[in-house]
Amino acid sequence: MTSDALPAIREPFDPSDVTWTPVSRKLVGARLTVAAFFVVPLLLLAVAGAIAGGDAWLWSLPALVVLLGLWIVWLVPRQVGAMAYAERADDLLVRHGIMVRSLVVVPYGRMQYVDVNAGPLARKFGIATVQLHTAAPATSAAIDGLPPHEAARLRDRMASRGEARLAGL
Amino acid sequence: MTEQLPGTHVPPVEHEPVGGPDAITGWRRMHPVTPALKGWRILAVVVGVVVIQSENLRDAIDLRHGKTWLALIGAIVVVAIVGFAYSSLAWRVTRFAVTDEAVHLRTGLLFRQQRQARLDRLQAVDVVQPLLARLVGLSELKIETAGGDGSGVSLAFLREADAEVLRSELLALAAGLRRPTGAPAAPLSGQGAVADVDPGSSTLPDALPAHAPFDAAPEREVYELPMPRLVVATLRSGAVPVLVLVAAGLVTAAALSGDIGVIFVMLPAVFGGAAFVWNRVNQGANFRAAISPDGIRLRHGLTENRAQTVPPGRVQAIRLSQTPLWRGKDWWRVEINVAGYGQGNEAQRDTVLHPVATRGEAMTALWLVLPDLGVEDPVALVDAALDSSGNDAGFTGAPRSARWVDPVGWRRHGFRVTDRALVTRSGRFWRQIDVVPHERTQSLAIEQGALQRRLGLASFVLHSTPGPVAPRVRHLAAEVAAELLDEQSARARTARATATPEQWMRAVGVPTPADRSGSAPPAGPVEPGPPGPSA
Repeated sequence: MTSDALPAIREPFDPSDVTWTPVSRKLVGARLTVAAFFVVPLLLLAVAGAIAGGDAWLWSLPALVVLLGLWIVWLVPRQVGAMAYAERADDLLVRHGIMVRSLVVVPYGRMQYVDVNAGPLARKFGIATVQLHTAAPATSAAIDGLPPHEAARLRDRMASRGEARLAGL
Repeated sequence: MTEQLPGTHVPPVEHEPVGGPDAITGWRRMHPVTPALKGWRILAVVVGVVVIQSENLRDAIDLRHGKTWLALIGAIVVVAIVGFAYSSLAWRVTRFAVTDEAVHLRTGLLFRQQRQARLDRLQAVDVVQPLLARLVGLSELKIETAGGDGSGVSLAFLREADAEVLRSELLALAAGLRRPTGAPAAPLSGQGAVADVDPGSSTLPDALPAHAPFDAAPEREVYELPMPRLVVATLRSGAVPVLVLVAAGLVTAAALSGDIGVIFVMLPAVFGGAAFVWNRVNQGANFRAAISPDGIRLRHGLTENRAQTVPPGRVQAIRLSQTPLWRGKDWWRVEINVAGYGQGNEAQRDTVLHPVATRGEAMTALWLVLPDLGVEDPVALVDAALDSSGNDAGFTGAPRSARWVDPVGWRRHGFRVTDRALVTRSGRFWRQIDVVPHERTQSLAIEQGALQRRLGLASFVLHSTPGPVAPRVRHLAAEVAAELLDEQSARARTARATATPEQWMRAVGVPTPADRSGSAPPAGPVEPGPPGPSA
């Protein structure tokens, strides 16, 4: 897949010589499920409150919750669509965010260790998270929503490339 | 290890790379007085907790004097005995060894721990003397590695002279020098070997061991901080001036109204301010910096003496900063990132390269870290970085549209790339410049908020190891930021490829064991000034 599959994100977050790999769309399902865990009980609570209270204006609360849910349903796919990574010869690029965008460049030679995480929900959806760590705690290079085999491949690749370009601190 | 051990029954291969813990010989103990010094700590903690926890204790004491006092004193004595007993037992099981490759430390009474710190990963070596230890002539040797908080090895306590010898030895080994073949690890006077303690060894003369395998590297002092400047500067920094003004105002108000109660409102803030001033003065007192082949030497401290050594190439980034009230005097605070020092309160003390530098001293401090800034006229560059704004002096500043997001300081945001380092500039009233050598770049990023996108701006972020320096150029034109990101990652890559190896002496072809006979190694290639005093 190439950047054609992504919503149009212009310079500077789309260097021309880079082929972005988007993360799995399954992440949308996973994130919406997590959101549903919060929104649905909230909605039920609001509806129950409105019925018990009896006043007409109380129905604005469930309406607000529904709006919130709709906003999340609209936002999450876009968020996931903006998340992508690219492997270059010497470094890994990770991009995310729509409102506040960021693009992180992590040189392989700076990689200290790589984490692969998959919680119960993520496993259900068949995705995993790869997090790269350098000696700088500020390096926030996590790639969420990778298919497990891709996560494993990336991990091994990072490890081998990191070794080849090993540097101290 | 003492003088008896080596020579006859220790084969010369002893200091070759070792296989496992069993292969390590030469375990040594800390100084026998250690438990006495550490026991007080336990007592102090317990007493402190009791005093803080029990408001009612004082009432109880007031009520009936005699017996409560006795009980209290008894309790303190019991705690003291337990504390000292524990410390003594802990001392008995604590031992350390230095091989060519690593420092090994075994500790733990109930939970045994053996820690091994590789010397080529060493980030800094500190000799620390708390007040009590200084009185009895002992020091703590701390070896910092880059593993985050609590990752270093602390050898407490050693005789002052022994700590110095051990420091020279560790630094020489870390630099890639090798012990003269067959020579023992630096023997420590007055400390028994673990296995076969010779009763005579603890009564040996106090002198430096005559055959220490490594001489202390010669050093040349480069600057010193006069006490008056430190005090005045501290009073002019942070919130102290505001605090003083508010306090003066309140005292006046109290005097005029005759109501003293107002003053008490200020007490917590005054205590906070006093603690801040005291900490800064205490830590920065007698601040001296020197350069030696081993790296940068920093000595400071009023109650607690610290002598830090940061080997070449261990400084990850450097920051010069100035508060508004320092502007008139042109004073700068110089801080550095060193991977071993981490973050937090302790780091604030350890990561200061100069507490209050004049401009000239700030230049020197920068030179200590980066002898070659990668430009023809480094002084002009630094002057420009400190004073300039906009696109002056080779700097690339923020575009005019940045005034909408940062109306005050937008002209000061900027950067300049030299052959060796990235120099970033920011702050109009709280001025600041950060310098990061290209080969020390960890990772890079650009960030863009919604408003910034509207204005076509983006911020450039450079990630360094934990510490006070976090370089960031805000509100650059988006294309400029993207270009900088690309170029900077390329520069960092090439710089890494040619960077000095971790064992810094290896870079200059200092003789290694193959081509050297048994004499002590020379101090090194960096122009050594007259050998300075080492304490």
